[in-house]
Order: sequence, then structure tokens, then C-alpha cells
Amino acid sequence: MQYTYLTEDIRQKIDKYLNTFPVKEQVIIQALHLIYSKYRDIELPHMEELSNYIQVPLNQIEGIVHFYDMFRVKRNARHHIRVCKNLPCHIMGCKKLLELFEKLTNEKANEESKHGRFYIETVECIGACSVAPAFMIDDDLYDGTKITEEKLNEILSKYT
Amino acid sequence: MKYYPNIPDLNANSSINLLLKRAKENRTVGIEEYETTGGYSALRKALTRFKPEDIVIMVEESTLRGRGGAGFPTGRKWRFALANPKPRYLICNADESEPGTFKDRIIIERDPHLLIEGMIISGYALGAELGFIYIRGEYPAGAMILEDAIEDARKKGYLGKNILGTDFSFDILVYRGAGAYICGEETALIESLEGKRGHPRLRPPYPANEGLFGRPTVVNNVETLANIPIIVTYENYYMNIGPAGYYGPKLFPISGKVKKPGVYESTMDITLRELIDMAGGMRDGKKFKAVFAGSLGIYSEKELDVPMDYSPKGFGGTGTTIVLDEDDCIIDSLIVVAEFFEHESCGKCTPCRVGTYELLNILKKFQEGTATEQDIKYLEHLCENIPVGSICGLGYSAPNAVRDALKKFRDEFYMHIEKKCPAGVCFKS
Repeated sequence: MQYTYLTEDIRQKIDKYLNTFPVKEQVIIQALHLIYSKYRDIELPHMEELSNYIQVPLNQIEGIVHFYDMFRVKRNARHHIRVCKNLPCHIMGCKKLLELFEKLTNEKANEESKHGRFYIETVECIGACSVAPAFMIDDDLYDGTKITEEKLNEILSKYT
Repeated sequence: MKYYPNIPDLNANSSINLLLKRAKENRTVGIEEYETTGGYSALRKALTRFKPEDIVIMVEESTLRGRGGAGFPTGRKWRFALANPKPRYLICNADESEPGTFKDRIIIERDPHLLIEGMIISGYALGAELGFIYIRGEYPAGAMILEDAIEDARKKGYLGKNILGTDFSFDILVYRGAGAYICGEETALIESLEGKRGHPRLRPPYPANEGLFGRPTVVNNVETLANIPIIVTYENYYMNIGPAGYYGPKLFPISGKVKKPGVYESTMDITLRELIDMAGGMRDGKKFKAVFAGSLGIYSEKELDVPMDYSPKGFGGTGTTIVLDEDDCIIDSLIVVAEFFEHESCGKCTPCRVGTYELLNILKKFQEGTATEQDIKYLEHLCENIPVGSICGLGYSAPNAVRDALKKFRDEFYMHIEKKCPAGVCFKS
């Protein structure tokens, strides 16, 4: 079979997982992470190819995608902004931070991206409560304590 | 140079330098530095001088308790698993997702070899040949750091076949979760680790009897496992650290309205008041209002002298301390906590799935000013019944904050019925 989404690189990494983990079902979530970090969305064609490649029923993969928050959401953007909304960040002003993000990126939080660059998501605790309101852009974590519009603009400009 | 994601300084402090000995600065300690500062000497000592049984006895005597929140004695947990035949598995629970908790992250990102060494010694004591680190999906940097550290340890012969020339073999695999709080619950974690949806299992059988792939399994928190090399190094001197019965160092993640939020390492003989003072006291000279202890409940000003240990009257849990001041509204905070549980309930048990939803909706009525006294009764009813009808820790602890608030801040509920908010957060027109 020809794979359009599972690139050579991703398949190599999946092979490595298949060789290390005792059972192949354990590879599903790890493989979905590889797909997520490349495409930031997991859609049916991705799942079909994965199902075919590691020989696991499609329904099992779909069940996992729909259970775990990181895979479930349709984002349609190259970069994924995660703003924590839990208590420590809430009392330290995550709502203002969120508004700032919405203003600077011209996107609405938790809505599919219009411009294809950023998707803003309010998430549960990301484990950085001492720098609340904490936020992540893709894999990077940032300190939100002294954030200003200028600083945030500078950070955002790194993600094209 | 390999690319690592950005991690800001989360502020780690320690006066006793045990768990955070190498982790006070914001950088990852490599294997060479770890070795030159006494690292892997505990492993060498364990493998050459002690039998597995000796280490289990040592851990039992140390009174080490699970640092993941439940506070179950680690030695006893190990004993349960040891009663069952091999193969056994060791799992490190690095899925810390409780709001306000970020202590394990410090160990993983700054001193990964401490955790790895702890896992190898535990694997030796348990007769396990394979260990997993289940790290949450939101810690991509942590997963990379751990994978590289494990690779370094393999190269040096601390992991793999015939460790340090003995006949003990052990390996560790890193497994990433994907953003589900429920997977911090040990049976849900095992389900997720088997490549399924993270639904908790009905207990018994406990993981010590039937865990991963139906085999005896021990699931320990990162901080618990990081204590193991310290126990082996200090042996009986470990019992000089901290108060009787609750020996050993403990990490306390403090966040919210304090001057210097961060992770603080201390013995467990301090009180909540001392801990807040350690973090610099209240920010901007504001008045203290309450402490949210993660999902454990709420502490009011009257209870600031509670000890931070695992005694029945102690603070216990993960040590999570979220400090609120006079500008924060209890109802508003409860709504945030309730939203979290409503979102994270896995949906397996109806009382938890529907109960957390109802809890949230009723609390919102207080904020909107449409609540009546009947709603307080209804909240009490839910607080009583959600834990009874749930099979895992999430359902048990979901109503804790509301239950405590109804006891300790009851007047705020009545004030909200009259459309008044003492902190001035709700009813803004």
C-alpha cells in the first residue's frame, strides 16, 4: 500500500516502537503523537493508514482518538496554542491572556482556525502553576507572569 | 545540538537538598554530572551489597508513602506484588495532571537520572525486568529528556542486560499519554498503557495481583521512586529526616497569590502556615483567604497550623497548595474546579459523569444569582452520593472542594443567593 500521510520518517519511528513495546496496541498512542506533531490534526485517512500499517482494527484507533483530548479536537492550524484555565492560572488572570491571544491572532478560542496558522485552546492544567497563567505553543512552554502585548507578539512571530 | 522545547524557570527551592539536590537550577543534569555528584552509587550499593529482600525491608522501615496523592505505604504495595509470581512489571506514574501540581516535572526535566536510578533499584527489589514511565502528553520536553537519559544509562551499562556485571537485567520504556487526567488513576493508567481508552478497572483484582497484561504490577509516583536511591544511600539515617512515621523529604508545589510560587522541598514536620511563609508570604500585602489542596479540599484561615504529613489530620496528598487571597471568590473558584472534573470524568460511572455535570450547573446558578436555599441542599446531596457511586479516585475526590466549602465558607453561598459577592468577582454588570 502507498502511504500519503505516514511518511518514511514516521514509519521508521513506528517500526522502532513496534520492536520495543511488548504488544503492538501500545504503539497506537505513540504513533498518533507522531501524526499529531506533524499535522496537528488527526483525521480518518490518518487513522486508516495507521490501522493498515500496524494491523490494528480501525475502531480501536478511533476509540482512542475520541477519548484523548490531544487527538480529539479538529484544529486545522499549523500551530497549537494551549492556555491553561485551571484554578492557579484562573486566579492569576488567564482570561486576560486568552483575550490577548484572540486579539493578536484574530482567532476565537476553541474554534477551528480561520487563517490556518494558530488554533487557541483552553486546556486543563499543564503543570506550570508557578508561572501562571501558563501557556504552551506547540511543544514549548512559556511563563505568563509578566506577559505584555509586545512580548506576546514577539513570541508569536517565531511560529510561522 | 539536539532541539529541546522551551521550559521557563519554574522556581525550585530546597533547604535539605535531597530530592532537589541537583535540580535547583533550570537545566537538565547529564549522566556525567550525575555520576560525579554521587549518582548511581546507590544502585551499585544495592546490587553488590543487598539482596532484593533487603531493599524491600529497607523501604518498609523507611515508612515511605506514595507521593501521588493517596499516601499508601510503598513497602506494603511492593509486598503485595511480591506475593505473586514473575514476570512482574514496574510502572512509574508521571501523569501528574492535578491542577496546581508540578513537582514531578521538576525531577523529570532537571534530574531524570534520579528517577531512572530509583526505578532500577525498585525493579531489582521487585524482580521486574521491564519498567514503564507513563508520562503525560503535555510534557513533550520531559519525554525527550527521559528518553535521552535512558539511552545514556544504557550506554553506561546501568540499564539493559546484566547490569553492572550482575545477573540482574532491567529496561525502561517511555510511554506518552495524551491529555487525560483519569490516566493518573493507576488502573486507568494500566488500561491506557495497554493501548486502550483510559477507563479505570473495577477493583479487586488490584494491580499488584493483576495489572499490566494481567501480570502483577506496581505503580509508583515519580517522587516516590526518586526517594528510593536516597533510602538506599542513607539506610537508617533516613529515619533522621523529618518527623516520626513520616520520614523523608517531600516536595510541595505552591501556586497562586504568594510572593514566590514554586516547588519547595522540605520535611513533613512543617505546617501549612510555615509553607506559605517559605514561599514569601502573601503577594501585595493582601489578606489570606483559603488554600485549595488540589482535589483534596479547602483549608481556611483557622486550619493554617495543619501539619503537612500523611496523618489523618494532616495535609497529605500531593502537597499541592493553591493560595487564594481576599480578591478571589470561593464560588468562582469552585466553578473552575467543577469544570475540571466535569471535563475529566471518563464517563464510566453514571454518578460521576452526571453528578459532576450537575455540580457544575448548580454552582453556576450561584454565580448567576438564580440559586435558592434548596440548591445548597442539592449540593450536599451530590457531595454525599457522587463518591459512593464511583469506582475510582476521580469520583471519590470530585466533590471534596464543594463539601469543604459548604462547611467552611457557607456564608458565601448565602451571600450569593442574595446576589452579593464578598470578593467582587461575580455579579459585575
